[in-house]
Amino acid sequence: MKKFILVLTLLALLIPSAVHAQEQNPWGEVFDSNGNLRSDLTDLGVTTEHPDWMSVDLPFGQSLNLNADYHRYQTANGNIVVLPSASTLFFMAMNPQESGLANSVGMMGNGYGGLITFLGAVAGNNIDWGRLSAEHPEYKSPDQFWGAVLNGQQDVWTYFSGWGFITTLLQMSWNDTALRTAYLMYLNGAQNCASIPGGCSGVVTPTLPQPKICPDPTVSIQQPTISIQKTAPSNPLVVGQDTENRRGADVIAKVTIPPVIFTWHEPIYEDREVCEPSAVVGGAPVCRTESFFKECREHVEHLPDAVASLQATAALDAASQAWITGKLGQTHYGAYVHQANFTLIPGLGSWSGGCDGGGTCTATGQALKVPFADPGTFNLRLNVVTTGTRFMGISITQPRQLSADGTFQVYVTLPALVP
Amino acid sequence: MKEIPISKRNIIVAIILAVVIALGIIAIQALPLHNRSQSSVSNQEDNLASKAAVSALQAFFHVDYRNEKETWLNDVCAESTPTGCQLITAGADAMWSKFQAGKADVTATVTPQEKVAETATEQVWKMLVTLSAPLPGSNKIQDTAYVAVVKTDNGWKFDRFLLEPEIKAILARQAMTVTPVKEGK
Repeated sequence: MKKFILVLTLLALLIPSAVHAQEQNPWGEVFDSNGNLRSDLTDLGVTTEHPDWMSVDLPFGQSLNLNADYHRYQTANGNIVVLPSASTLFFMAMNPQESGLANSVGMMGNGYGGLITFLGAVAGNNIDWGRLSAEHPEYKSPDQFWGAVLNGQQDVWTYFSGWGFITTLLQMSWNDTALRTAYLMYLNGAQNCASIPGGCSGVVTPTLPQPKICPDPTVSIQQPTISIQKTAPSNPLVVGQDTENRRGADVIAKVTIPPVIFTWHEPIYEDREVCEPSAVVGGAPVCRTESFFKECREHVEHLPDAVASLQATAALDAASQAWITGKLGQTHYGAYVHQANFTLIPGLGSWSGGCDGGGTCTATGQALKVPFADPGTFNLRLNVVTTGTRFMGISITQPRQLSADGTFQVYVTLPALVP
Repeated sequence: MKEIPISKRNIIVAIILAVVIALGIIAIQALPLHNRSQSSVSNQEDNLASKAAVSALQAFFHVDYRNEKETWLNDVCAESTPTGCQLITAGADAMWSKFQAGKADVTATVTPQEKVAETATEQVWKMLVTLSAPLPGSNKIQDTAYVAVVKTDNGWKFDRFLLEPEIKAILARQAMTVTPVKEGK
């Protein structure tokens, strides 16, 4: 029953109702206005270590190293909140300097008031209060005594009148790992993680601010050259009238795309060792490695924007179609349009392309011996879509649509009676 | 009214007796709770408590590196409270690794020296432990152990070794009890 009441007391200390999120109050980074843990906290998990101040010295130079474990959270501003287990907190309170408890900004809500309550709950019944008040009448209440213990002004061990409660406390920690009653705040704990309970394990190193002196990246896009034309023969005849057997005409499409020039600047940092005097008199300096901005290094990337698709078509223009069915039909009865539209590439022909080491991409398509059977003007159309450019997985330019037009004539020989 | 004659001699004897009785009472009150020179226990509870401490320490310092750690732990835990067993178990891995690395093969002889503190259900005993051979990391074969034993439903059981500040506090308290404070008044 006593243990149950003790557990209830400890859990009651967890209620964060006394915490009010204030901008100046670092606890505002931990709890929202409803007293719940904020969602932007980084849960660093549980860290276990074997500190000297939780080591039990045994006869013959042996020792029993007990676990100190802490559940820790990191706030958005790089502060670290530490929740020790009940036994760890007890030993921290007994060794406030060695454990780093004295470096925290206090417990949630009411400074060390919660910790005093904790000590009263777990150890209050094992203090010889009669002897304490006889020897130290200056303590008007147990809280004053516990406050002096936490400040390092009073040795608590002198007044313990029981011994079994320590193993009971340890057992509570082992059996109920959620029994963590104290939220200890370490300001800038992420930056100084080596000196906080649990060390740097899992701590997210704050990202270095991007130096403003580095220029923003730039992108330079050069115009591609693109063309589609009939290449042979010089004056194609409609198929059937040409000298070869259904020679037709050849159409060639070409595109050349210069590289996209992407210029960016890399901030260069160099590591330097920064040392601060030890918090302990005569102790070794506490050193850490920090990165300092050195320069902006310019990088110029020639990014290829390759051809993703190429389409070419040919279409007999409307005037030619009208001439065939009109004027030509008057002299040659039954004249008609055989095929006004051709899908040249892909279809009658194909294309291939690639990029060179300098980032210039080319593509060539050709449709040979296209059997144009109608005389007149054919309009050529070339449509190209590029892949766009990427750098280190990041999209730099979007895919482009390019197009070009061309025309050529197909001829017909017409017999005429000469009177 | 009847007169009772009292001789001067009887008055002196009575005064001497009163002084002796008063001094006796003061002496008894001033005596330390436990006689340091007397190593044997004086009552049944102390006897049982000290035996529990002896058994536990003999088990704890009976180390044979050829055995499994669990064998050693079982022997220690049989003489311990559940919480005491858990405490030893928590630190057993590192300790047993050290014993195995040093090929420890040790037995212990344990003698209760003094009950140094007590409550209704707890006693703290100063014990003299003598090993058959040094343990790894030490060249001593004799040392003092301060242990807490607890009265449980299954009798007295070993709970734990005292922490260094607890031992210092108990020894300081004993020194104050044994050595009267001379304040010159």
